[in-house]
Amino acid sequence: MTRQTFQQACVTAIAEEMRRDRDVFVLGEDVGTFGGPLKSTNGLWEEFGGEGRVIDMPISEGTFVGAAVGAAMRGKRPVVDLMFLEFLALVTQQFGLDAGAMHYYSGGAISVPLVMRAKYGVGPFHGHAYDFHSWLQNIPGVKIVAPSNAVDAKGLMRAAIRDNNPVLFLEHMALYHAGRMEVPDDDEFVVPIGKACVPRRGSDVTIVASALMTKRSLAAAETLEAEGISAEVIDLRTIVPLDEETILESVSRTGRLVVVSEAIKTGGSHNEVVSVVAEQAFDRLRAPILRVAPPRVPVPFHRDLEKAYLPDAADIIEAVHRVTRHSIPA
Amino acid sequence: MNNATSPATTGSNQLHIELYHLMTMSRVLDRIIGEHDGHWHGLEGEEAVAAGVYHGLRADDVLAPHYRGTIIAAYAKGADLRTLLAGAMGKTTGYNMGRYRSDICGPAQYNLIGLYSGSLGPPLGYATGGALAAKLDGRDDVAVAVFGDGGSSRGDCHEAMNLASVQKLPVVFVCQNNQIAISTEKKNGVGGSVAERGRSFGMLGVEVDGNDVLAVHGAMQEAIARARAGEGPTTIEAVTYRVAGHFYSDAEDYRDPDVVDRWRERDPIRAYRSWLVKEGVLDEAGLNRMDEEARVHAQTAMDRALADPAPTAVDLAPELVFAPDTPREGERP
Repeated sequence: MTRQTFQQACVTAIAEEMRRDRDVFVLGEDVGTFGGPLKSTNGLWEEFGGEGRVIDMPISEGTFVGAAVGAAMRGKRPVVDLMFLEFLALVTQQFGLDAGAMHYYSGGAISVPLVMRAKYGVGPFHGHAYDFHSWLQNIPGVKIVAPSNAVDAKGLMRAAIRDNNPVLFLEHMALYHAGRMEVPDDDEFVVPIGKACVPRRGSDVTIVASALMTKRSLAAAETLEAEGISAEVIDLRTIVPLDEETILESVSRTGRLVVVSEAIKTGGSHNEVVSVVAEQAFDRLRAPILRVAPPRVPVPFHRDLEKAYLPDAADIIEAVHRVTRHSIPA
Repeated sequence: MNNATSPATTGSNQLHIELYHLMTMSRVLDRIIGEHDGHWHGLEGEEAVAAGVYHGLRADDVLAPHYRGTIIAAYAKGADLRTLLAGAMGKTTGYNMGRYRSDICGPAQYNLIGLYSGSLGPPLGYATGGALAAKLDGRDDVAVAVFGDGGSSRGDCHEAMNLASVQKLPVVFVCQNNQIAISTEKKNGVGGSVAERGRSFGMLGVEVDGNDVLAVHGAMQEAIARARAGEGPTTIEAVTYRVAGHFYSDAEDYRDPDVVDRWRERDPIRAYRSWLVKEGVLDEAGLNRMDEEARVHAQTAMDRALADPAPTAVDLAPELVFAPDTPREGERP
């Protein structure tokens, strides 16, 4: 075990995979001597730059993600640093529509093992916050992971690099340098893509979240416990493909669902969780499903506006109170 | 015609036979596919660019062809004609298994990069990435990225040229300049010279007569040799004209038929035939025989493709959208 931040865990996972597999390489803007935006590639240049495996890119996001797609088509395993998720619109054709379709359209003749890292989220950096990942949920063939802590970040980064599909790897800036955890050093430590986890067990309500919203949901659950409400928290970890089984199993027991999202309420990926439960566990619900998510405005600048925008523990608690007031007999 | 490739100079007729075959095959395919698909993007008038650019690439060279010419590009790269035509007809037996239109998306098995969505430009980035992979692996494979005068307006084109230049990647950019983008004439779509753009990105940029197959082929061979030697990218602007409609059933009421007729008089196949006869490579009878062989080959392939099974609902197979950890049977890792 090594005590590491989220950022350090990501970089360690990449370095270890680069040592393990010569096809893994890193490209992006300022990933070289600069060490990556927010230190996202810190130390990789020193170890792998001489081999040409850490490559600084011109400000051409669409084409350098495209170049990563093209290299992946030829068997390489590129890890692209997109810098910020705000740039997603610039690369949606290459990373989404095209890379996501290649395996299926080619009749399985090719796969595109590609990781695209993107920093995002309301946090200490006061900018580049937009959470646009939901756009990609609507594009077949693309995976999306959103770890909430350093341990999962390391295990999911490894899984993403070893995966044979394009994977969007979300790195929340409020979690990036915030605190350290004991992170496994074990060579075989991998967190599988497509598996949620249940960091807190409970029996009255299921709260589904990811990334920073997991942290806030856990804080809310703590407060609720003191009130005598037992909340189960599911950390999705993977947004696509969704771990429907874990969600359905939990909601089948609790009968209540609150979904928490940093993406805005309309069209956000959290709505898929709601749909899955509505379609497959309607008869187990004892209360209407509630969503806790930002309103439909662009991420605001001033801290007070930002605070009003982003769901916090109080908002989650309020939603839980509303669903627990309902008690249709089980 | 370029005398540097005269059979007297090269001592071989094989090259000329192969180039002519690609050109006449392309013309035949236009008719055979067009009869079944009104949206087929024909290549009439531009065959010299296709043959000159697509001939002679190695298996591991990456090729992002122009969509107008994708099937002849795949054929030149060694793909099976019947399978290609089955793909154009959406049959299960096509390389894309009926999941995607093979007229604009060549088989990945032959390292072709297709239009995986209908938007022009991104394949230039994918080709550049193929070249990056070759460089990282220390192989001397090259990537060929072909676009039209229309596609030259995409930022992707300039971004790919810039990236290939700064990374000194083995890419040959070819502008198949047919002077019209659907209905938009070059004068309304392209500012300046595309070859000049290549030069402005710090690479060699050359303009060739796109109706002279030997000029195109000669420029390609030089660019490929430089790329293989690690000397970086080249831009070739091959100026030709789209005698064909944008698609087979195009009414073409947006352009002056006299302009089309004038270019038809400069037909690249007829010009090459005259040269081949003059140089004594083949006589008229031999060329006619090659035309007939191509026609029979293509027609047989198409007849078989048409008889092939069409996909059914089971073939939709949504569970196959993600690549597995280990390849499924019949899939490449």
